[in-house]
Amino acid sequence: MNQACAHIIDDDEAIRDALEWQFRTRGVACTLWPGAEAFLAAWQAEWQGCIVLDIRMGGMSGLECFDALLARDCRMPVIFITGHGDVPMAVGALKKGAFDFIEKPFSDNELITVVEKALAADAERQRAAADRETVEARLATVTAREREVMALILEGKFNKVIADDLNISMRTVEAHRAKIFDKMGVRSAVELAQMLTGIRY
Amino acid sequence: MDKPAAAPAVWQLRLPYLSLVLFLATIAALVWLTRSYDEENQRTTLISDVLWMEQNMRFHLDRNAAQLAQIGPELLAEGERQPSTDASLRQLLRAESGLARIIWLNAEGRIQGAVPPLSDAHLIGESRGSVPSDSMFRLGRAIGRPVYGPAYEVAGGDYHFEVHVPLYAEGAFTGAAVGVYSLQSLVVRELPWWFSERYRVAVEDADGREIAAKSKVGPLSSAHEYRMAFDPPGHGLSMHITAYRGETRWIPVLLIASLVLLSGIIVWSVWQLRRQLARRQAAEQALLKESAFRQAMEDSLLTGLRARDLNGRITYVNPAFCRMVGYTAAELVGRTPPMPYWDPEHAERTQELHEMIMAGGTPLEGIEVRLRRKDGQRLDALVFEAPLIDSQGAHSGWMGSVLDITEQKRAQELARQQEERLQATSRLITMGEMASTLAHELNQPLAAIASYNSGCINRLESGREIDRAELREVHARLGRQAQRAGEIIRRVHDFVRRSEPKRIPVDINAIIRDAVELIEADARKRRMRVSTELAARLPEIDADPVMIEQIIVNLVRNGMDAMRDNPPARRTVHILTRQEDDLLVVRVADLGCGIPPDTARRLFEPFFTTKQEGMGMGLNICRSIAELHRGRLGFEPNPEGGTIFILSLPVEPA
Repeated sequence: MNQACAHIIDDDEAIRDALEWQFRTRGVACTLWPGAEAFLAAWQAEWQGCIVLDIRMGGMSGLECFDALLARDCRMPVIFITGHGDVPMAVGALKKGAFDFIEKPFSDNELITVVEKALAADAERQRAAADRETVEARLATVTAREREVMALILEGKFNKVIADDLNISMRTVEAHRAKIFDKMGVRSAVELAQMLTGIRY
Repeated sequence: MDKPAAAPAVWQLRLPYLSLVLFLATIAALVWLTRSYDEENQRTTLISDVLWMEQNMRFHLDRNAAQLAQIGPELLAEGERQPSTDASLRQLLRAESGLARIIWLNAEGRIQGAVPPLSDAHLIGESRGSVPSDSMFRLGRAIGRPVYGPAYEVAGGDYHFEVHVPLYAEGAFTGAAVGVYSLQSLVVRELPWWFSERYRVAVEDADGREIAAKSKVGPLSSAHEYRMAFDPPGHGLSMHITAYRGETRWIPVLLIASLVLLSGIIVWSVWQLRRQLARRQAAEQALLKESAFRQAMEDSLLTGLRARDLNGRITYVNPAFCRMVGYTAAELVGRTPPMPYWDPEHAERTQELHEMIMAGGTPLEGIEVRLRRKDGQRLDALVFEAPLIDSQGAHSGWMGSVLDITEQKRAQELARQQEERLQATSRLITMGEMASTLAHELNQPLAAIASYNSGCINRLESGREIDRAELREVHARLGRQAQRAGEIIRRVHDFVRRSEPKRIPVDINAIIRDAVELIEADARKRRMRVSTELAARLPEIDADPVMIEQIIVNLVRNGMDAMRDNPPARRTVHILTRQEDDLLVVRVADLGCGIPPDTARRLFEPFFTTKQEGMGMGLNICRSIAELHRGRLGFEPNPEGGTIFILSLPVEPA
């Protein structure tokens, strides 16, 4: 179950069955859920892939399910499907962060295309998360003094200026710089800056 | 404006009193003048009488003196007295002459003789000198004229006085003739009876003592008296004449009395008049106040008031009514129907209402009528009309109160329209929900079919080995979804079929009459008429009466909608029934605007409508019902303008 797949949540068995068949013909793995409640009961945070959610269902509606997922901080992209174009509902859902909104009946492979995009986006998200973990691990090895020097380097200051600011010799600054680059696995200040974008240090 | 009119009224009111006072003063003055004139008159009479008496007395004395002077020489002559002298003496001594005795004296003053002869009797009281007195003799001789002596009392209470007449012969003094007068007899005898009747004459001496009087009866009042010197004889004698009270002069008294009485009556009547006037004035004031109050009430009333006589002529309108219709009272009063404020578009109906009112007033809840202001604005009025009963209890006209309900009507109309729109909207919402549900229901199988289909295509395009069993299975499922969609459609159909007509033998005319009855109220409200022309003895047909009635009501209502903007004369829906071969034909004709060709093409389409609040289902349902009864619903233009809808139903042979 840890493998990335499309979670199809629809109370109509025929739809589930038809989508499963269609997805199979395109080689997209999918899991079928007869209702929102069943899905939420089984959901685990480390699941990957995307969710195809019918808005109008007996029991919990698609929108309610979406809200519950947001509350649980689920990052999986959600694609809504609905029988009739309910535009305000769709806009509301998209604003909350839904991935897309598809009307039934689906033309050709429209849904599958969107699902494939969602899966790719999720994979990308997973990878980015992994990268950040690596950077954070490397940052952990940098000493407090080195961090001070690093902050000034990221501000684009020359070694001489850094030496004056911190009241240390140029040589010491050069030594710190070499150590930092080594620890972070970069060769230039620009590379360092790119790596640390979006990460608190 | 009232002030100048009232100001002269005050002095005009005072004028009668003023003139009354003047009148009374004049009367009083007149009475006083009359009395004083009377007095004066009496006094004048008295004086003239007295003067006459004095004159008479003096004349008498003078004549006696003259006669004494004449016979004196004869008396003094020597010898026997001549008979003529005796005759003259007798003549002189007769009672009415007042002479009591004649004495003649010679030049020396010695008594030569006397007639009657001297006696002592007359000497009583004569203490001052001899008779005749020497001093007087000498005085007479000295002045040569008769001299009168003072009065002296004699026996018998009488008083005498003397007159000495000096006698001359051939220029020489020869003696004197002395006449002795009795005062009493002079006064009594000398005065004529008429004088003594009116006046009391008394002679008083110098001390004011009465020494002779014509009458012993004292005067009753001293209102008119006159005192004058008795000269001759003089010597302090005076004559006191007092008028007896004259006869009461009744005429002036009556005159004055009647004047006073009449004045009293006048004063009293003026007083009464004044009281009456005050009462009248008070009543008038009260009436004026009352009428001013009523006027104020009528003027400030917001309800329009209008009075009409039995011929419908306006006799009164109040300001509120004038404001309502925009005409002035002068323009309205006296007008007869048609009134200027009638709406020409509703003239016929207004005339009808007018006649109804003239025939017997309005119902208690009033009647609504559409009027037109002078400026052309329309005015909805609620009119209450009641018979006008005058003070004699006779029915003299009609009193109408008119309320302007234009705003209320407009508000009602607006509310009604909003209500209609709301109902239409809610119907639409219901229909929308139904359609939405239906769409969702249908979408499910269709979505599944589309997905199966896409999957199949994907499989076919993938170029992989086709698994026939798998494809077969997928197609079987696909078919099932198609069946499911069909099932949904069938369910909808079943829902519609549930309203299948319940057929019973019906009389189409009865249904039409019911339908007309049903729609009558609405028609009246919209000022529409529904007329029918139903053929007699139509065969009964098998039909659902409720559904047929629904068609009729729908068609009539459509007709009325089409004539919404028509003048009142062209607001009739005409329903006609007829048997044509084996068809019963119902024609519903309106006089509306007709149906343009592009509308005509789509007329029976569902959801097609030309009305703002319409749903576009009416005619569609009507045609469905007609078809359920194996009939037809069509239409053709009305030759009189408008449209005729034709419902034809087959007559089944019994």
